[in-house]
Amino acid sequence: MSKKQNKPIDPVVIVMLGVVFVAIAVAMIAFQPDSNSINIAPGSGTMSQLVVAFITGITTGGLSCLAVQGGLLASSLAHQIEQDYVEHAARSGHGKKSKTSAPVRSNSALPISLFLLAKLIAYTLLGALLGWLGSYLTLSPMSRAVLMIAIGIFMVGNGLRMFNVHPIFRYFSIEPPKFITRYIRRTAKGTDTATPIFLGLLTIFIPCGVTQAMMATALGTGSAVMGAALMFAFTLGTSPVFFVIAYLTTELGAKLEKFFMRFVAVVVLILGFVTLDGGLNLIGSPLSFQNLTLRLAAQGSALNLSPSESIVSAQADSPQPATDGGLILEVQNSGYFPKTLKAPAGKDFTLNLVTDNTYSCARDFVIPALNFYELLPDTGTVQVNIPAQPKGSTLFFTCSMGMYTGQIVFE
Amino acid sequence: MIKKTFKIPDMTCSNCAMKLESLEDSLDGVKEINASYHRLEMVIEYDETRLTDDQIVAAVKKKGYRAEIA
Repeated sequence: MSKKQNKPIDPVVIVMLGVVFVAIAVAMIAFQPDSNSINIAPGSGTMSQLVVAFITGITTGGLSCLAVQGGLLASSLAHQIEQDYVEHAARSGHGKKSKTSAPVRSNSALPISLFLLAKLIAYTLLGALLGWLGSYLTLSPMSRAVLMIAIGIFMVGNGLRMFNVHPIFRYFSIEPPKFITRYIRRTAKGTDTATPIFLGLLTIFIPCGVTQAMMATALGTGSAVMGAALMFAFTLGTSPVFFVIAYLTTELGAKLEKFFMRFVAVVVLILGFVTLDGGLNLIGSPLSFQNLTLRLAAQGSALNLSPSESIVSAQADSPQPATDGGLILEVQNSGYFPKTLKAPAGKDFTLNLVTDNTYSCARDFVIPALNFYELLPDTGTVQVNIPAQPKGSTLFFTCSMGMYTGQIVFE
Repeated sequence: MIKKTFKIPDMTCSNCAMKLESLEDSLDGVKEINASYHRLEMVIEYDETRLTDDQIVAAVKKKGYRAEIA
């Protein structure tokens, strides 16, 4: 008689929980606690290395990876959400009118869990390979750029598909071969398991900066077992952040079903553009949004000043010259300072990259045009010889994920 | 056995196609179903003595989609 039914949680409570959680996570990032360090001392015990890896994952790793790999998770959830939407529409269409017809989404936990499980397995295997093979498996910045551009285009296409902009965008949705779908259908109960698993496995190709640093640590272990254990501990640490944010987001969406499809499409579009922009940064394209902004800002500041003021500004904007006559670029957790360096044209010079407790992906320094790539020490100075460049030219530099950028303008 | 194509305008992703293909397992008289999200259609090969168009449309509707004979 009395149907046992869970009382839906008030959306406001969910929103508040989500906001509080994100605030705590952002505070952790902003204040960079010591536990963010991934500098595992060679002499420290195995267990403490794993604990540090786990803590790194649960603090900076989770959000950093979510920023980079969130698109893949969103893509895998998008399929589930679309299907839920259709099922709900079908139920409503059958005339079963009920006062409690608010859609209850209980399916989002499964794809998120599958995505994270696949990610955990993939990274554990990757850790084992890295520990065993050393640095041979590291993706070059250029190949990562190509991958990011391809993923970015894929995501933007999918976002436009979800907005139903044009039938052509339907081809951005991958249709698995018939024999695979039949196999999945007959071996698994649902049909929604393959996508999140596949996308979870794909995350190894787009590691975030913190993950890359952890991969470098796994390389240094020189042991397949230790490399696997280290990556397992780190990825396990990132999982709760992924899960909670993704789950709260989709549960919140269940309350706002009507608008949620468009919300997901917008998120996929934005993440797609961000990924695409990162890829363009990595190939040193002047057409990326960040590089365009940098150039416009530099031109704008030059236009607004008189010639004498411009010289003063250039000096103020430029870093302090190093003792050897080179230039200094500060590599901080939040990017490169100053963002625009001014260097004399037609002359070789030394660029001093200075890190000081820097653990973000800014450490993975790339100058695409010079094919220069180096993982900087967390604290120290690395000198790079910049060959003479013609007047008016610009060299763009970036982190290996294309997140942080800057430029050297030759005058 | 005959082969017929149905337009399924409500498909929103390739999972929808997989879902429609699962009718292979539940509809009597069906030999094979090939659904495509890209083309928004479903090609069904079935025994017309055991299954009617209306039954197919009804089964598709149960899955949450409209079906029209192409």
